[in-house]
Amino acid sequence: MTSGDLFLQQLINGLNLGAMYSLLALGFTLVYGIMELINFSHFNVFMVGCFIALGVLKLLGMDGQSVILHGLPLIGVLLLTFLITMVSSGMIGVGIERLLLRPLRAVTGPAAMILTIGVSYILFNVILIGIGGDTRNFANPLPSVSWNIGGAVLRMRDLLIWGITIVLMLGLTYFVNYTRLGKGMRATAQDPEAARMMGVEVDSVVGLSFFIGSALAGASGLIFGLYYNYAKVDMGFAAGLRAFTAAVLGGIGNVPGAMLGGVLIGLIEAGSSQLIGQLWADVVIFSILVIVLVFRPAGLLGRQAPNKS
Amino acid sequence: MLSRRSAFKAAAGIAATATMGVATGAQAADKVVKVGMDLSLTGADSESAIRTGNGAILAFEEANKYKEVPGIMFDAVKFDDGTATAGQYDPAQAATNARKMVSDKNYIAALGPQMSGAGKAMSPILSEGNLAIITPSSTNPDITDPKFAAQYRPKGKAIYFRTVTTDAYQGPNMANYMAKTVGIKSVYLLDDSGAYGVGICDSFERRCKELGVTVMGRDRLDPKAADYSAVLTKIKSLNPDLLYYGGVGQAGVKLAKQAYEIVPKMVKAGGDGILGTEMLKGVGFPAVDGWYATNASPHKDEGDKQIKEFSDKFRARFKDSPDDYTLTMYVAARAIIETVKVLVANGKPVNRDTVRDGLQAVRMTQSLIGPVEFDENGDLKNKVISVFKITKDPSKPLDSIDDQYKYMGIAPMS
Repeated sequence: MTSGDLFLQQLINGLNLGAMYSLLALGFTLVYGIMELINFSHFNVFMVGCFIALGVLKLLGMDGQSVILHGLPLIGVLLLTFLITMVSSGMIGVGIERLLLRPLRAVTGPAAMILTIGVSYILFNVILIGIGGDTRNFANPLPSVSWNIGGAVLRMRDLLIWGITIVLMLGLTYFVNYTRLGKGMRATAQDPEAARMMGVEVDSVVGLSFFIGSALAGASGLIFGLYYNYAKVDMGFAAGLRAFTAAVLGGIGNVPGAMLGGVLIGLIEAGSSQLIGQLWADVVIFSILVIVLVFRPAGLLGRQAPNKS
Repeated sequence: MLSRRSAFKAAAGIAATATMGVATGAQAADKVVKVGMDLSLTGADSESAIRTGNGAILAFEEANKYKEVPGIMFDAVKFDDGTATAGQYDPAQAATNARKMVSDKNYIAALGPQMSGAGKAMSPILSEGNLAIITPSSTNPDITDPKFAAQYRPKGKAIYFRTVTTDAYQGPNMANYMAKTVGIKSVYLLDDSGAYGVGICDSFERRCKELGVTVMGRDRLDPKAADYSAVLTKIKSLNPDLLYYGGVGQAGVKLAKQAYEIVPKMVKAGGDGILGTEMLKGVGFPAVDGWYATNASPHKDEGDKQIKEFSDKFRARFKDSPDDYTLTMYVAARAIIETVKVLVANGKPVNRDTVRDGLQAVRMTQSLIGPVEFDENGDLKNKVISVFKITKDPSKPLDSIDDQYKYMGIAPMS
């Protein structure tokens, strides 16, 4: 491998990582944009989503790396798995909002955020007790197609994860900015009381944003599983911290910002692993975060959702 | 809902009752002595923890059933050093467990821990309480090294005994095997930042340099990270003959999956941290195929009559196959039973002081892992490192250690 190939390969590695962090950061930042709530249960909904997807694929007869699908069966299996995973993760989100957060909505202060931390641990321990703490082999029905660019290798699943992330980001930006429901969400974010007076059904808007956010977490769980081929109970905490940082770095509440932050962190992590060692990645990432926050407290792209106060 | 801790206590209670159940019909005057078992029951190593622990449970159940030591009933009590937040063993939890054992005079000895990081936390506390522990699998050499005696056994006497050899041999002997038998000329080293992983990697690295093998670099993995592709890309660009990984399954599983994609043809090896069903189940074939692993104890397969008998008993009792650390745990429990037997036969009291001194002098000539005697530091005198290579045998269960880890022989001593 020449140093040019090496650079290109590390760039691809960094973009893959970035796409994964962005995916996770999207749903996270969406809920923040609407509710101004840092929803820490998001990352363990992601983990639960990954296990749901693992279960669905197992039911469809996919176990380990033994079954590879092509063409229509592949698309069918993926669509079905996406659908079930996203709907069930979305319902978990709705459940959390309806049963636990709605009674707290009138309460000011950090109570709701702390509640989401509690929910996060409950989800973690439910999976730990129910499924166990060891690493599970996640089925991979995708054929392994790759292209050589000089000495670097670009795999089909790299393109897949970039594509999905960009489509979701664009879709979400369009949804929030240009659809009727999206306008309702933004109105709720600005002033729930005024929004209610203008005929916005605030409860269902909040419920919907939780549904979408959690469904995105579920989708990320499935994509994570397909990409890394494993599921483990601590995956939410590990990836979640970076994704949270990505959202803050890009400007929390800002959908393109989450993606920018994710890609930056992915590239920094790959660069650190190449140059100084993986354990230094966090040091570099958080140093940059601190510097950005000192000079641009609202993050790189600032936030779109105006302050409630 | 039960909390994890209370659920575990309930489970330990049931286990304790089960062992007590064997004691029915015993004379009321029988003295019950407790043996604490520190295992990583929560997290990444839970499967091997249960399998290892069952080795000791079988030994004590037999001793109680056949009243092997007149007037003594053994009660093996499980302690969990794994926590949900750590996702694997947690040294702080291991220290808490050690304190609990030390504070109860009914504990005459202990078994475990599985992990060196836990052992480092427990050893000083056990030394203060003069409570001897025998580890079936923790192999970091520092814990028993007289150089670090002030840190790990402040009271002076050896209390950390082992029925395994240490990484002081596991790393270097594997380096010998790789250089002399496999014929590698260059290596890139990775560890998982844990006590065990760093230790075994250090000793492997030192021996490589002595042998003239080029060490092209060394990196430390973050065991919680999902992605090692950047590190592996760096290794690919350097193109060493061997990738050596010092560490346990948490990072090992992900590393093996990604190494298969990025450096498929490179020779890959590790220590006993990647010898287990987690690699077979979590990584799966074809990615796991070809990895070398070692074990710090003699390997005996079921061709051996003594082992066959043991395996049959074990399967009948637990519906599960034993692995090599089940054997070392069973032998560790046997060492405690033998020690207590000698004490009772000589009319001496059975307490943690006499048991510690007894263990120091114990001699078992024909245990399942060969002769067992401890040196003045608590290390096993008979040192053997076995080498395995994962070789797919499609005719057998793909997650069976016995069938998929092919025994390659004994790694040469330096």
